[in-house]
Amino acid sequence: MHLSGSLLILFALLLPVASFAAEPAEIVCIQCHATMPGKIGEPVKLWKGSIHAENGIACNACHGGDPKDAANAMSPARGFLGAPKEPAIPAFCGRCHVGVLKDYLASAHGRALGKGGPTCVTCHSNHLVVKASLEIINEKRCSQCHSFERAKTIRDAMQETEAMIVAMDKRIAAYKGEGVDTEGLEKGLFAVRNRFHTLFHNVDVGMVKKESAGIQGDLKKIQDQIKALDDSRQQRKIAGAVAVSAMLLLALFAHLLRKTFD
Amino acid sequence: MALLKRLIDWIDVRIGARDIAAKELTGYLLPRNINTWYSMGSILLFIFAMQVVTGILLLIYYVPDADKAFKSVTFIMNEVPFGWLIRMCHAVGSNMMVLVLLFHMISVLFMNSYKSPREMNWLTGFILFTMVQGISLTGYLLPWSQLSFWATTVATNSANAIPVVGPYLVEFLRGGKLVGPPTLGRFFALHVALIPAGIAALVGAHLFLLQRTGVSTPPFGLKDTANRWQGDGYRYESHPGGIPFFPNYALEDLRSIFIYLACFLAVVYFDPYLFFTRDSFLPANPLQTPAHIKPEWYFLANYQTLKIFPSEFIGLAVQGAGMTFLALLPFIDRTTERHPLKRPLFMICAIGGIMLWIGLSVWGHYS
Repeated sequence: MHLSGSLLILFALLLPVASFAAEPAEIVCIQCHATMPGKIGEPVKLWKGSIHAENGIACNACHGGDPKDAANAMSPARGFLGAPKEPAIPAFCGRCHVGVLKDYLASAHGRALGKGGPTCVTCHSNHLVVKASLEIINEKRCSQCHSFERAKTIRDAMQETEAMIVAMDKRIAAYKGEGVDTEGLEKGLFAVRNRFHTLFHNVDVGMVKKESAGIQGDLKKIQDQIKALDDSRQQRKIAGAVAVSAMLLLALFAHLLRKTFD
Repeated sequence: MALLKRLIDWIDVRIGARDIAAKELTGYLLPRNINTWYSMGSILLFIFAMQVVTGILLLIYYVPDADKAFKSVTFIMNEVPFGWLIRMCHAVGSNMMVLVLLFHMISVLFMNSYKSPREMNWLTGFILFTMVQGISLTGYLLPWSQLSFWATTVATNSANAIPVVGPYLVEFLRGGKLVGPPTLGRFFALHVALIPAGIAALVGAHLFLLQRTGVSTPPFGLKDTANRWQGDGYRYESHPGGIPFFPNYALEDLRSIFIYLACFLAVVYFDPYLFFTRDSFLPANPLQTPAHIKPEWYFLANYQTLKIFPSEFIGLAVQGAGMTFLALLPFIDRTTERHPLKRPLFMICAIGGIMLWIGLSVWGHYS
């Protein structure tokens, strides 16, 4: 009885908890390159802080190859592409970012491709690519090639809209982290943000100003939905205060009633 | 009122209801020095009933299918009227159940109520504790979130540390090599049928044992605190001149339940995400491992213990030995003294053990 009882307890209690420390294996690209020094290992460290890593887009998604077979990971036969030459960079990134490629190629930047003009990595960097924001348009980056004046005018025109998008994105993410079905809100903001980001590659100041005003109108609709969520949360808190107070009053009532039986 | 009296009379003449009430309620006497800690059992019964009710309500909309589970939970949280409240009550309630169960066990420990002839009361309670942990763990997978999926992946992987049969056991638990739809099916069956039935049966056994041994007298405020039972024959611990269970102590139980409800509802309404991480609200993705997977707060000490030792098997064995010792405590601790302040070694071990558990949990949280 003792032995079987102990075994049952041992099994039931320990089974769920052991080995929480176990970590799943990483792809072979990261396993090898992460341990390598200098230029060969650096991309892994950079990538880990990128938006690509955050969304589970690993080395093979861009560079091809076989992420499960170390021996053939970099075999062209397995689709390994390596790093593109500079003029091929926009097409390389544009395999996924189709709309952005189109905007870029239509812009002054894109038209200067192969003639000393910037490519995607000039502004966005390569492995440490972060979520696109207006911060990318800054004096240090733009003045590598030309004066910052015109770029600043465009950035100022978009600043307010960008701030609205960033703030809403944070609010939606916070609600998502509370189990709210934010799919519709996310899709709506994603569409507006994409529309807004097409302006990032545009250098026509007048058009940027006009489009920004229209985008702000769409953002207002999303903001109203977030406001409705805020209101419902507030109502829940009021209901909670009533419920908690009611329970405390009932506890007091039970306590006083009990005293009458002493 | 006349109708109610007629109804009671109608029942009474058939089953002797007034006799039962006189014996088990108004005539059921409790020690005069009984304290609030004795209400923990009633609070636990109330929580278990609430878990059953909210669980049944969740079952109306929950779909135990890997492709639909997360969406069904999202639907409950966002579309079903008061669905969020029912789900939060169920999720917060499961954590509260473990917490109150710990308080109940600690109070029994410090009042030395586990001593003979109550060995079986302690043992059934201890098994109930493991079953509550089990029902919490199996319930964890059901929303099919990132947290559910990965916590279950690493938790089921633990069985690998058991020599020889480990790998077979992992496959048996998962219903395959990896956590997937068959695991959800198994855990669902365990969570909604097998474990609740087991808990209900053990609660019945626990209450039966309580009814047969009688309520233990708290060792506080008494001159003689030695356990006088010699083991020579059956004895029901009666309390002549004690306070009636109904209405006196029933009202104290009710007061404790309302205070519990106030605390519980404060969490549900004001900080329901206390027991959730962001990964709890993202759909399971077998291809994307969250950065840090931590078990629930009540498993953190076990988690940290496993990390301290160089081998997982040693970590398991140490925990097994500790838990077996606790389960068999009434059979090991045969001293007759029941007042904790008259037992310095016991106090050092008990408080040291609790501090160690808290310390390991905090370490596990921040490690």
